[in-house]
Amino acid sequence: MQTSFTAEQLRDPDIQSSNKILRTCVHCGMCTATCPTFVLLGDELDSPRGRIYLMQDMLESGRPATAEVVTHIDRCLSCLSCMTTCPSGVNYMHLIDHGRRYVEETYTRPWHERLLRNTLVRVLPSPSRMRWALTAARLAKPFRALLPGGVFGSRLRAMLDLAPTHLPPRQVVNGVHRADGTRRGRVALLAGCAQQVLAPSINAATIRLLTRLGYDVVVPPSAGCCGALTHHMGQHDPAMAAARTNIAAWSAEMAGEGLDAILINTSGCGTTVKDYGFMFRDEPEQAQAAQISALAADISQFLSRIGYAPTRDPAGLTVAYHAACSLQHGQSVTAEPKTLLRKAGFTVVEPAEGHLCCGSAGTYNLLQPEIAGRLRERKLDNIRRTTPDLIAAGNIGCLTQLAGAGLPTIHTVELLDWMAGGPRPAALPA
Amino acid sequence: MSAPATEAALAEAIADAYAAKEPVLVQGAGTKHGMLRPVQAARSLSTRNLSGITLYAPKELVISARAGTPITEIKAALAEHGQHLTAEPPDLSDLLGVPGNQTLGGIVATNLSGPRRIVAGAMRDQILGIRAVDGTGEIFHSGGRVLKNVTGLDLCKLLSGSHGTLGIMTEITLKILPAPEQTGTLVIPGLDATAAVATLSAALGSPYGVSGAAWLPPDAAARIPELAGFNASVALMRIEEFAASVTYRTARLAQDLQPHGRAELLGDTISRSVWRSVRDVTPLTVEPGEAVWRVSVRPSAGPGILAATGLRGFLDWGGGLVWLVGDPASHPAVTAAATAAKGIWTLMHAPDSLRASADVIPPEPPVLAAIGRRVKAVMDPAGILNPGRMAAGA
Amino acid sequence: MLALPEPKADILARRDEIVAGLRAILPASGVITEPLRLKPYETDGLPAYRQIPLAVALPETTEQVAAVLKLCHSIGVRVIPRGAGTSLSGGATPLADAVVLGLMRMNRILEIDYADRCATVQAGVTNIGITQAVAGNGFFYAPDPSSQLACMIGGNVGMNSGGAHCLKYGVTANNLLGLTAVTIEGDILHLGGNHLDAAGYDWLGLITGSEGMLVVVTEVMVRILRGPEGARAMLAAFRSNEIAGQCVDAIIGSGIIPVALEFMDRPAIHACEAFAHAGYPLDAEAMLIIEVEGSVAEQDDLLDRIKRLCEPFEPLSMRVSQSPEESLAIWKGRKGAFGAVGRISPDYMCMDGTIPTSRLPEVLRRIGEMSDQYGLKVANIFHAGDGNLHPLVMFDANDPDSFHRAEAFGADILKLCVEVGGCLTGEHGVGLEKRDLMRFQFSEPELERQRRLKDAFDPAWLLNPAKVFPLQDKPRQAA
Ligand SMILES: Cc1cc2nc3c(=O)[nH]c(=O)nc-3n(C[C@H](O)[C@H](O)[C@H](O)COP(=O)(O)OP(=O)(O)OC[C@H]3O[C@@H](n4cnc5c(N)ncnc54)[C@H](O)[C@@H]3O)c2cc1C
Ligand code: SF4
Ligand code: SF4
Repeated sequence: MQTSFTAEQLRDPDIQSSNKILRTCVHCGMCTATCPTFVLLGDELDSPRGRIYLMQDMLESGRPATAEVVTHIDRCLSCLSCMTTCPSGVNYMHLIDHGRRYVEETYTRPWHERLLRNTLVRVLPSPSRMRWALTAARLAKPFRALLPGGVFGSRLRAMLDLAPTHLPPRQVVNGVHRADGTRRGRVALLAGCAQQVLAPSINAATIRLLTRLGYDVVVPPSAGCCGALTHHMGQHDPAMAAARTNIAAWSAEMAGEGLDAILINTSGCGTTVKDYGFMFRDEPEQAQAAQISALAADISQFLSRIGYAPTRDPAGLTVAYHAACSLQHGQSVTAEPKTLLRKAGFTVVEPAEGHLCCGSAGTYNLLQPEIAGRLRERKLDNIRRTTPDLIAAGNIGCLTQLAGAGLPTIHTVELLDWMAGGPRPAALPA
Repeated sequence: MSAPATEAALAEAIADAYAAKEPVLVQGAGTKHGMLRPVQAARSLSTRNLSGITLYAPKELVISARAGTPITEIKAALAEHGQHLTAEPPDLSDLLGVPGNQTLGGIVATNLSGPRRIVAGAMRDQILGIRAVDGTGEIFHSGGRVLKNVTGLDLCKLLSGSHGTLGIMTEITLKILPAPEQTGTLVIPGLDATAAVATLSAALGSPYGVSGAAWLPPDAAARIPELAGFNASVALMRIEEFAASVTYRTARLAQDLQPHGRAELLGDTISRSVWRSVRDVTPLTVEPGEAVWRVSVRPSAGPGILAATGLRGFLDWGGGLVWLVGDPASHPAVTAAATAAKGIWTLMHAPDSLRASADVIPPEPPVLAAIGRRVKAVMDPAGILNPGRMAAGA
Repeated sequence: MLALPEPKADILARRDEIVAGLRAILPASGVITEPLRLKPYETDGLPAYRQIPLAVALPETTEQVAAVLKLCHSIGVRVIPRGAGTSLSGGATPLADAVVLGLMRMNRILEIDYADRCATVQAGVTNIGITQAVAGNGFFYAPDPSSQLACMIGGNVGMNSGGAHCLKYGVTANNLLGLTAVTIEGDILHLGGNHLDAAGYDWLGLITGSEGMLVVVTEVMVRILRGPEGARAMLAAFRSNEIAGQCVDAIIGSGIIPVALEFMDRPAIHACEAFAHAGYPLDAEAMLIIEVEGSVAEQDDLLDRIKRLCEPFEPLSMRVSQSPEESLAIWKGRKGAFGAVGRISPDYMCMDGTIPTSRLPEVLRRIGEMSDQYGLKVANIFHAGDGNLHPLVMFDANDPDSFHRAEAFGADILKLCVEVGGCLTGEHGVGLEKRDLMRFQFSEPELERQRRLKDAFDPAWLLNPAKVFPLQDKPRQAA
């Protein structure tokens, strides 16, 4: 598509990158119908093509972002369904990342927005602050009805609703977990931030399964949040700082005993780690970052690569596989989890509209509770129609979002670990 | 009756009538003279001398012919290349008691299609292009000679089925297809209309490409020699394909339809003859003074139309096309039944008294009728083409 | 560059009144008026032409559509109906003094009737949405434009859209049973129904493909068909366009009508392969995708016959798809073809002429010559069975000269199509893009007749008035 950046603007590497993306878009509109917000809201401004247009206009003008544009950018889930659909190969992810950053840099949000966003930025990436916040939220639940109306109130309510009623005990996974028997290799695991607090059983299952398969699993104590949460809120510096810490930690491991892979069992984080190479394209760490992105793999990809076999008899359960957006659209990992689950003896069903987001999308369900809620209901309706025994997904965000609807939500890796000798996932009724 | 031999002469004849403001009865061979309402006109004009195939490109699946070309001539030319008229237009001359060699223009202007309509589209769906003369004598064209064309408003569709009231087609280009290698028919005897339509519906909902689905009550079945032996009503389902596929598909379909009844298979020659009879509506006879109706409804409503009117008749198009014959006094019953089923009716044949006094097709709601009058005024400003043919005063 | 009619100053002056009227009919989110938010509606699938509209209205019911139209009619505001905005001919391009009437919120499936094999849906349901709704029962909606993921049934009716499988199953017009539509006066019409054919004039036929100029469609009743037992595609690669064209003739001449018969030339093959990874033959000059239907044995039999028909043309390779996934990938490449060209060129214009199939080699040769002459690359995709040719002219919109050359090149291609006995557009519609070329296919009196038929529906020329007909000095469009 035509663009009209000045030569001056094009000297900015970010503009250069976005210009390239914009020029790839041919405005065919194929992406609109697979965009969850367009399907719900029926307005092109809430479609990828519309947002691309708005962002182009915003970036070309060079003026601060306006409230109208921010509304539509904020409503984007970053689910990347549009990227799967786009035949032209438009990298919407890099464009919206740029757009969000531009918004954060040029637009002043109302005070309560700022407060909320700053709180999230401080709390979510830190397991200890997150535990504290969730405990507070649990205590606040009875007072839900007293919250004010309006956007602010509804967001607070959304937070309280999402906070689990009891928190699992703290588990520390930092350090090296040695392979059982003959060692086949060595991998790093991203322990994650929110997931560690909400569902430590996922990391536990991952480590059990990998060590049983003959892999040393390293969780460098200095590695932490991948930076995705802040990155998606347009908070460039904190995101880069988080990523930088991880790059340093993993690079040290690679230089030391070496790594066969960097594994991620929260696909939302996986998409970001796989993008480190791009994020650091103009930074001194560029080469290391690219190497890390190349080594990064979703746990399901890695298990498919090294071979997985169950040891237990099939459990006779029907699993509705929910494809997390970050996995299916962000990383184009579609077949592996289903194949593994089938191998493990489960009957796998795929609900209709599998390409649509469940509404979790990082902090989206906290910031846009209305749309997130409608997507959740739509997703659950589609899932219920397949009459499964449980829901499996490869992303903690989705698992939390879809929980509490009468169906157990369990990470794929916990099911695989169970069938290969691990404990029965606690979420499954006996 | 004038019968111009060229398009220019025809245009001149119409221009002359337009100048004189004299109505013109327009026809091809005149075989459908008795359809709809009688036309009172000072002049009459036939396209029968505008005859001959003007283009036939078998590999491009197109044929063009002048409007007065007999259908038989076109079919013969197509048959030489193993092709056929996809919409299977009927020859109703026996039914309507008007012998003659119907023309291409006539079949398009009445948009009559046969049993294959359900899979291959109506006559109007095959029209790729037309040349025509409007009510002022002006020559125009629409469409062309290629299979896909959305350039401008589709006057081909507007003129097909317009019974010569919007223009006189002089040349027509059709999409054609290879004729299937073989035809096979499954017969399930003894079903009542409702059970039969459920059966036909199952057959049409099967993956075997059923290209004909009809039900004849016992008396109608008895009039087709090849079916008389059943001594019962018959549900007929046709497959047209390569020979091996006909064998395979009829067997599979018969198996799938077992819950509906035991199906017998009719071979190629018999099948073709039976479907010709269904197409041409020969299972019905028309006594002097009787009327003929053609009702189109959703298939599941077909049996209800037969029951509600109590007339002699049968079902084609999986139940969706109801042919009815009987007392002209049943006209209100027919129109009421069709309307109640949200369908449409056409009075195909009746004594002039009924034709002149009743609605022969469903009247249009006022907004649409007003648009219709404006369209008519564009195409035939003086209202001289087949006046009153489709509706009184139109 | 195509001119748009002058905006009417009196309408622009009454903008506030119009907006207030719309707000009285529609919820707040259904009326868009801020210039910044109007911008994404300034164009459709042909972004070379743009115009920001006066306002956008997003109704949710037929009654709201009727109320909006009544309002616009009473004030004399032009209205541009819009579905998904994937038109490749600029059919949904706005006017400065027009309200864009977007049907995308009307996206509900209303009724599915398997016994009578029909479905009723709102105009904003996507083409593939219909098939997805009935696929569980083995049914499908036949016309399958490559844009089916996104384009809406109302837009399909507007353009009489076709698809790769319409050689066997027909285009939109052949699969419609009924419409609910609203006239510019705001009157609601129910046309056709769940029965076949009309007894009076074929309004459905006239409205289909009328590009939003006659009525606004709000509900559509379509036929749904039971799918075949199975389908399989094969690829055949050839040394030259001519040879591939001859092979197409041989197949059709043999009496076999494949459900789809698609042709791609070398640049198209390369662009699509980069997107779909379907194993397209990169060494070939031309490739055919041939699909057949039926049971596995029937597919085998037909594919064998086709292979034998291909052999005399010394194909470089022939590959029969071995799995549903492989067939899907083969089609993904073809259906993504236009967008995929976006990978090799920043912009493209997609032509859509139809030609008599026998003229293909000649037409492709002449397009090649023009390509050299204009200095622009072109990739050709061709619905070979029905002669519908899609040359994709590649250009760079940031370079005005390149755009002007592309426009001229495209026009020359379409004139060539008409010259060899074909037409300007096979399925994308005339829209804005080919408006001025209509003179090459129709005489002035013929154009005037069509204009007068529009008069019959829309005497004041408020519905999508600047499309399809050359603007010239026509007071209807210019006023
Ligand atoms: C990548 C790509 C591939 C394509 N492939 C094909 C193909 O294979 N075959 C094909 O035929 N087309 C194809 N197209 C063209 C386009 O998708 C079709 O023309 C489609 O039918 C347009 O639908 P839409 O919903 O996007 O309509 P729009 O583009 O929004 O509108 C199209 C026209 O219809 C009118 N209109 C829209 N809705 C209504 C309504 N409810 N009532 C009245 N008028 C209305 C508009 O005014 C306009 O004139 C393709 C387009 C793209 C971008
Ligand atoms: S990322 Fe998701 S929500 Fe955002 S534009 Fe793309 S499809 Fe829509
Ligand atoms: S599908 Fe791709 S090229 Fe088409 S509009 Fe969307 S982003 Fe642009």
